Amino acid sequence: MLEINNLDVSYDKIQVIWDLSLKISNNEAVGIFGPNGSGKSTLIKAIMGLVSAGSGEVIYNGESITDFETHNITKKGIALVPQRRELFPLMSVKENLRLGAAYIPKARKRIEENLQSIYQIFPILKEREKQLAGTMSGGQQRMLAVGRALMSNPKLLILDEPSIGLQPSLVTDLFKKLNEIKKQDVSVLLAEQNVRQGLKVIDRGYVLENGKIAFADNAEKLSNNEHIQKTYLGL
Amino acid sequence: MNKKAILIILTALAVVLPFFTGAYVLSIFISIFVFLSLSLSWDMMLRTGQLSFGTAGFFGIGAYASALAVANLGLNPILSIILGGLFSAIIAFALGFVVLRLREIYFAITTLALTHVFSVIIRNLSDITGGASGTILPNAIFNGDPKLIYWAILLITFMVIGISEMFKRTKIRFAINSIRNDETTAKSSGIDVFKYLLLVFVITSAIQGVIGAFYAQQFAFVNPESTFSLNFLLLPIAMALVGGIYTTSGPIIGALILGLISEYLKLLIPYGHLVVYGVIIVLVVLFLPEGIFKSVKKLFASKDNVGSDINAQS
Repeated sequence: MLEINNLDVSYDKIQVIWDLSLKISNNEAVGIFGPNGSGKSTLIKAIMGLVSAGSGEVIYNGESITDFETHNITKKGIALVPQRRELFPLMSVKENLRLGAAYIPKARKRIEENLQSIYQIFPILKEREKQLAGTMSGGQQRMLAVGRALMSNPKLLILDEPSIGLQPSLVTDLFKKLNEIKKQDVSVLLAEQNVRQGLKVIDRGYVLENGKIAFADNAEKLSNNEHIQKTYLGL
Repeated sequence: MNKKAILIILTALAVVLPFFTGAYVLSIFISIFVFLSLSLSWDMMLRTGQLSFGTAGFFGIGAYASALAVANLGLNPILSIILGGLFSAIIAFALGFVVLRLREIYFAITTLALTHVFSVIIRNLSDITGGASGTILPNAIFNGDPKLIYWAILLITFMVIGISEMFKRTKIRFAINSIRNDETTAKSSGIDVFKYLLLVFVITSAIQGVIGAFYAQQFAFVNPESTFSLNFLLLPIAMALVGGIYTTSGPIIGALILGLISEYLKLLIPYGHLVVYGVIIVLVVLFLPEGIFKSVKKLFASKDNVGSDINAQS
């Protein structure tokens, strides 16, 4: 469903992504792993139209979205859970969720339906419906951010380091939820530093080093790869 | 206390005020309503996270558009006020494509610079605008009848309050709040950030243009010095800060309080009233950083509606 061909991205003169190509199929969960500064976030920003591509193209369901504006990409069915600062802290949980659908014409018609299905995945959000988002714990806020993104009825859910700043047990919880989301006909693109946890969610993964793809394989083979074990899993 | 009832009583009082007072009191309230509307329009732009210093600029070009249309084309003064708003809106629309790419202090400085650019252009187009000495109109609007002038500005102010409330209640509120909170999140929620910024910029500039036009017609006079005076920028900002930003009630309360205080101080200490006025603003900003409206509201808020209270601020 999503295809990236020979993508180059630069900030001014510093090139961050080098000739990168990757592919995500329907109902597939794909991981992008790599250390700080390897270009994970930049890649995601390029997909979402938050930075412009130097060359190369991003194709979504057969249509080039390389030069689309972010809000139009969202309307096409790609939802982003940005890294940190992903909520509106002075709005209630429910308002945050509704906001996720308010500006997407297709999703707006299904607000109540979507709310119920998100409450099913994250019962805690139902409990705290009226609470201000900013007063919830870090883990709950992250779940709300995922819920908000799901409200737009995405076909592809992109998460930019959802584990960042969360204690390990919460990361496990969150990633369990991702497994549930995967079952709902949503493809997932997960950018993570936490390779060990990330590998439990994804079907296939890419390892990014210095803006280039160093490895690409399925989850099982990645976890058995010697270089990855040494560098990212500390084995 | 019934909020609605109080609002209706206050509105009624504002409407019937001219029957009970003379020209002096009316002139104070006319001036308060002028600044109140400017203050609200500035706050509406601020709600999107953009700090505009262009209030005086759009006020000024609205004033000039209206005054010149009446002086040179013989347009009806009432229509010229609408024209002033339209003119400011068109200029804001055109400039918006450039300045709304800027953020934070860069946006603020650019809008301030625009104010200066407008006034320089007008100063130099002396054939049309009268240059540095300005243009004097033969007659003030409504022949200077203070009652009619008062009702006119009251009507405009009600409309501005209405627009501000619309911003708080309709779908646009989410968009505005989310842009202020975080643009990346707003964009990835499907919000066309630029479109909403442009919309708010054009609407608030139109309000400033209308108020400028009204001001020009009230005094039957425009000149670059006084029409583009930074008073039309700094006082509205002070009023919004004192009353409380991001709300409709804040700028209204701020304008009333500061407007009345400044008039009273003028009588009390003819020389140096501005110093005291300045000290009051500094004290409020220091000790009630959220503004008078929110601080008082918090004081009265019972524990169980604290949540809804904070919501109202967002």
